[in-house]
Amino acid sequence: MVEFRLPMLPQPGELVWSVNINGTEVKLNIESNAILLDVLRDQAGSLGTKRGCDMGTCGCCSVLVDGEPRLSCLTLAADMNGREITTVEGLANGHQLLSQNNNPTNEEIKTAIEGNLCRCTGFQQIVDSIRAASDIIRENNDIEDSTSAKSDPHPGFMEGN
Amino acid sequence: MVKDKEIQGYRQQPGKLPFSKPGSGGKNSFSKPINLENIPVSQNGIKDQPWGPHRHDSLISGQVIGKSTALVDSAWKVTGQAQYGDDVRLPNELIGRIVRSPHHYAKILSIDCSKALDLPGVVAIATGNDAKNKFGVLPVTKDEHAMAVEKVRHAGDLIACIAAENENIAREAERLIQIEYEILESIHDIKEGLEDSEYPIHDRGQYHIGNSNIQKRVFQEFGNISSLEKNTVVSHQSNWTFAGVNHGFTEPHAVVANWSPDGRLTLYTPQQVPHYVHRSLADVLEIPMHQINVHRTFVGGGFGGKSDPFPHEMCAAILARKSGRPVRITFDREEVFWVNRGRHPSKIEMNLHADSIGRICGIETDALIDGGSFASFGHVTTYYNGVLHTAPYEIGAFHYTGARVWTNKPASGAMRGHGAVNSRCAVEVGLDDLAEKLEVDPITLRLANLLPPHSATITGFRVTSIGMRECLERVKEESGWSDKFRKMPLGKGIGIGCGFFISGSGLPIHWDPNKFPHATVHLKIDMDGGVTIHTGAAEIGQGSDTVVSQSVAEVLGLPLDMIRIRSRESDTSPVDLGSYSSRVTFMNANAAISAAMKIRDELIKAASDITGASEEVLVIGDRRIFDKNNPAIGVSYLEALHKSQEERGALISSGAYRTPPMGKTHKGAAAGLAPAYSFSAYVAEVSVDVETGKTIVDKVWAAHDCGKALNPLAVNGQIIGSCHMGLGQVLSEEMRYGRTGHLMNPDFLDYKIPSIHEMPEVIPIIIESNDPEGPFGAKEAGEGPLLPILPAVCNAVYDAIGVRTEDLPITSEKVFKLVEKKCREQGVSSPLDLKPPRLEFSDLQDTLEKRADLHSTRDIERRLDSSREEYYNGAIFGFDPTKSPEEVDENWSVRVIPNDDYLHSPRLAGSAWKHIERRKMGD
Ligand code: FES
Repeated sequence: MVEFRLPMLPQPGELVWSVNINGTEVKLNIESNAILLDVLRDQAGSLGTKRGCDMGTCGCCSVLVDGEPRLSCLTLAADMNGREITTVEGLANGHQLLSQNNNPTNEEIKTAIEGNLCRCTGFQQIVDSIRAASDIIRENNDIEDSTSAKSDPHPGFMEGN
Repeated sequence: MVKDKEIQGYRQQPGKLPFSKPGSGGKNSFSKPINLENIPVSQNGIKDQPWGPHRHDSLISGQVIGKSTALVDSAWKVTGQAQYGDDVRLPNELIGRIVRSPHHYAKILSIDCSKALDLPGVVAIATGNDAKNKFGVLPVTKDEHAMAVEKVRHAGDLIACIAAENENIAREAERLIQIEYEILESIHDIKEGLEDSEYPIHDRGQYHIGNSNIQKRVFQEFGNISSLEKNTVVSHQSNWTFAGVNHGFTEPHAVVANWSPDGRLTLYTPQQVPHYVHRSLADVLEIPMHQINVHRTFVGGGFGGKSDPFPHEMCAAILARKSGRPVRITFDREEVFWVNRGRHPSKIEMNLHADSIGRICGIETDALIDGGSFASFGHVTTYYNGVLHTAPYEIGAFHYTGARVWTNKPASGAMRGHGAVNSRCAVEVGLDDLAEKLEVDPITLRLANLLPPHSATITGFRVTSIGMRECLERVKEESGWSDKFRKMPLGKGIGIGCGFFISGSGLPIHWDPNKFPHATVHLKIDMDGGVTIHTGAAEIGQGSDTVVSQSVAEVLGLPLDMIRIRSRESDTSPVDLGSYSSRVTFMNANAAISAAMKIRDELIKAASDITGASEEVLVIGDRRIFDKNNPAIGVSYLEALHKSQEERGALISSGAYRTPPMGKTHKGAAAGLAPAYSFSAYVAEVSVDVETGKTIVDKVWAAHDCGKALNPLAVNGQIIGSCHMGLGQVLSEEMRYGRTGHLMNPDFLDYKIPSIHEMPEVIPIIIESNDPEGPFGAKEAGEGPLLPILPAVCNAVYDAIGVRTEDLPITSEKVFKLVEKKCREQGVSSPLDLKPPRLEFSDLQDTLEKRADLHSTRDIERRLDSSREEYYNGAIFGFDPTKSPEEVDENWSVRVIPNDDYLHSPRLAGSAWKHIERRKMGD
């Protein structure tokens, strides 16, 4: 690929960045001043990590770094070298969020997500779904495999079934 | 084991049907028997129908309607797989960047792009000269360009756009573009917009109103204006100031444009109204609409803020055309505020009058709204500020003057509750004050003045189902109102507020409703049995894909997992007006039902052909069509499908919806006209710290009449989410402009959206008034639920500390100033010594309770009696309910143009009528 560089401005350095993203070792060349959010979206292919405000106020860009939540828009990518990063794509079974406390109180849930702005739900449903997830984890319930067979369009008839 | 049981049915072999039909197989290999609890009594089921039968009752198969259903696209979202605007990444893409005006108002003298074009990595630059055609939401107010032509109208207005290999280069190119301006005197004060100006922000030619910045003015006078003075015993008068608020959707605007090798444009955009963009692109690019495919991506929240066709969408298409490569433009949050289209900053004067027996004998409203620099939906907003508070109450006289002015601010537009929110707040607070002055309970006052179901408002809106009374009764009871109202200690308060909102706009903006339907849905089913729905209804997170899928699944007796919906691309979806004015459930689900009914008829005919049973006795249950008197006689869905495919292959059907003819004929009569209306009543409980003025909302009981909750999970979500958004406006949200007119808080740090800690517990209460024309009885639930929370909180603050606010948001500073004033009035030195308001009911309370009881009986009779007579607003004042009062009373005014008398002393917005339209200036 052709490199386009700005003629007048001082250029950032480049560095080799190796991190673990959702369980996979990733090695990338990144610019030394790159923001983690941009690297995740533009280079590492994690488009599930969103940009909502760019200044740490909305929480859309949250990722887990070594299991701790972090706003990727306020994180210098270079600082994350060698760390383990989990994005929303890696959260499919939700275990990590509730890993430290699988039976949180409502207040604990609220505190945990206080950095996230939500404009649709009014938050109540988020609290409810975290509660539901914690139930699933504690009770060790199975979640239905989304690829399992869907309904049969040719069902038989049985009296009273 | 199921397999061992005997299966009965038409020529059916014992055991699971053995022949392998293409498409057969999968889970739940036996049809579930019909659960009578899901079937309405009108169809011999056992589901109660307190509001009577419905025309769709016979279509209920008991599958999904009325059951809480996770949104059909939720799996994409929770796994991060949903592609929103900026997630569309095409190979070889360029990054587009908008060059914006630093000035509020200026002529552009020259733009020199040569240096920027020389920068390696810059591929294309466009300016206003590249696309001079105007576009806009309404055909009559096309006033936007892709980029400024001649002048910029607000700080942040678009001047040029750049496509470059990466963002850094685009930003550097921006710096290299040289622009010369001649700065013009900008206006920022809404009142100044009413005056003549040397350089009005737009020139509307012969339709321009004087030399002013008035974009739209409305005058409406209905009812018994002349005897208002004589009849009035108490009045409320207030002068409100409402700050502008922004939608604050989570996903900033983003767009990707790509011209394919065959010369067609695909525009990927998170739009609520893809069809308007489609039209505008054709205008701006000067190509026919069929050359454009508008691809709606997932939408990360819109709330009205993504329903205009936007200049940046045009820019992306222009840059992609120039460069021959895909172009992606993404806004940062600040740019979202520059584009705005949020709720109008407004000044509203509200006067309410009640007569000696507690009837609302007059509402006089004057609303001056700040449109910022473009028209957007402004015509409509100007009407809505008036006409949407002519219900749910029966009123003796309605006088409305409204004006929308241009100022050099980012444009205001449509936002959830469009045009109804601010004036509704003023009305409901006013009613609270009237009740206080009449010494009656404010809920009783409302209950004794409601329009009955199937009536007409004073402006001639046809209202069908009304669940207002039930909303009020439920929140009153569940909140423990009677023990709390005017009885709680200082600092604790409870308040009521109501709402009324359109469920779809009666008139499509772009076409004659007789010439083209409001909504169209196509279905396609092939031998696999899965149903593909094609609809243009824009899924914006509200659950429209789900509700349309549910409707089809219900009629065809299929589980949701057999339905797939294609609602994204204009190439494949029928034209739809999009997701605004709370129209989608009402119109698209109705269209979907009618498309599904056609398929259903074919399946039943096929089943009849196979079984020999007559079509009249065949019904659709869970994936099976059978004789309702002997369910053993029947065929599977797939068998019937294959039978009906014999001669023609895939089944295709199309269903459409249009509104019935309705309403009056005066100028502006169509604004606010809807096929149905939603109603809501909220009670809020608050704590106000008298020493700091800080208000905390503790709990909200929120009752909303949505006709029928097709998906209760989504309806509850809309109610709670609406509360959150409305609380933001009443407590903290405000687009703040500085002394020189600059927007001070275009970011989420200073623009204060309530966080989870400010959010009270909300108890959603769903009222189902069974609308006769709604799909399965449904009406809207997405916007109406926002309205009541603002006045409920304001009224609760009064109950807590005895001060009435007329200025939103009610920040601590503002409330504390009012507390200080109150202290002076009461002669106390510490706010802690303030006396909270108390209320002894007068004799009128009894009268009103009796009237409310009578009306309650009247309403139940009317809603159940299909041969009911007409009921026109005015009957409560003694007019014959079956005749429109203007037909029987010559003093009953219907006027939409002010007379000279009025113009001698107009109110604020009304003074817009002092100007003469240019074409009427003579010579
Ligand atoms: S993008 Fe909003 S917090 Fe990071």
